[in-house]
Amino acid sequence: MMSNTIDRLVEDLTPIKPLKNRDGIVLTLGLTAVFAAIVVMTLGIRGDIMMGMPHPMFFLRAGALLLLGVTSCYAVIAMGQPAVGNSFKGWIWALCAALLFPATAIVMALIAAPDNMAVFVPRYGLECLSVSALVGCGIATAQIGWLRRSAPVALNRAGWLVGISSGALGAAAYGLHCPFNGIFYIGLWYTLSVMICAFLGRLIVPHLIRW
Amino acid sequence: MIASEETLRHLMIKAQGGDKLCYSSLLVECEKWLRRYYARKINPSAIDDLVQETLISLHRKRSSYDPNRAFLPWLAAIGRYRWIDSLRKIYRHEHDQLYEEMVADPQDEGVTAKVSLERLLGMIPPKQAEVISLVKIEGLSIIEASAKTGQSESLVKVNIHRGLKKLSSMVETE
Repeated sequence: MMSNTIDRLVEDLTPIKPLKNRDGIVLTLGLTAVFAAIVVMTLGIRGDIMMGMPHPMFFLRAGALLLLGVTSCYAVIAMGQPAVGNSFKGWIWALCAALLFPATAIVMALIAAPDNMAVFVPRYGLECLSVSALVGCGIATAQIGWLRRSAPVALNRAGWLVGISSGALGAAAYGLHCPFNGIFYIGLWYTLSVMICAFLGRLIVPHLIRW
Repeated sequence: MIASEETLRHLMIKAQGGDKLCYSSLLVECEKWLRRYYARKINPSAIDDLVQETLISLHRKRSSYDPNRAFLPWLAAIGRYRWIDSLRKIYRHEHDQLYEEMVADPQDEGVTAKVSLERLLGMIPPKQAEVISLVKIEGLSIIEASAKTGQSESLVKVNIHRGLKKLSSMVETE
């Protein structure tokens, strides 16, 4: 029986090109750039960027989201080439850095109520949430396609990481339009956006990976 | 005698290029390696199926092997994944002997120790490892495992579930 299986597999052999991590990362980041351009063209760019004087919070927020998005993207792509002894811990530090935003928002809220009530206006927040998540879903398709071609052996972790990565990159793309700089707004809506994408990734992605 | 890491790596690189002769040799060597790898770590009656499934996974996912990296850790990661998947499916299989010949003649001892299934089982709490071994590997029923370990039946089930979940999360990292 085993020799039949081996004969069948040998018969089925065709030359293949080994997957390269670099291709997966370039594909994901390229798609992020395309979505960022679409956000800017359809919703418009932040006024302070347009004037050439971006607010410092824009850099902090974009930096934290990109760091989280890129490190978790690297972990997702590397998971496609399994090997005992692999370690994917870099994204954890980026996640800790990104969590400073909601943590600061909570501490500040305990000290004083938010002065800008825009944070509680669902219209703005829901736009942030829905656009970020939508862009995130688009970015996730590239990562899911990569994982289906490759061989991830920890499916649940792959799901979490796809969600975190695509959610963070989607939020970073939307950040080019988002005019709000308040810590409460960022701590609430951006955190929710990445969290929702992470949970969706955990729920959906493992079922889409085929062995 | 199983081929060395370097030989297996060389055969895999040739196989990725479409060399059927090398691929055939590689699969034969991998079959031998996997039989030893799974020895005592699954019910003997399930080994044939598990080795076959792992070879099919190797075939389907052969593009995920990076020619610049070692071969056995890659094969072991796929092997562990398939093993845990197989443990999940197994409930009770009668058996009364282990194939002694499968545990002899270890190759690449350093690599094998690092990627071994014993090591993986050793990373989870002893109570979870014990009931997984009794129920999923030795083929005892939940009731028998409960009587043998002193854990309640529901605790045996919970420990198996938690243990397998933990093993899944450690396929590559430990």
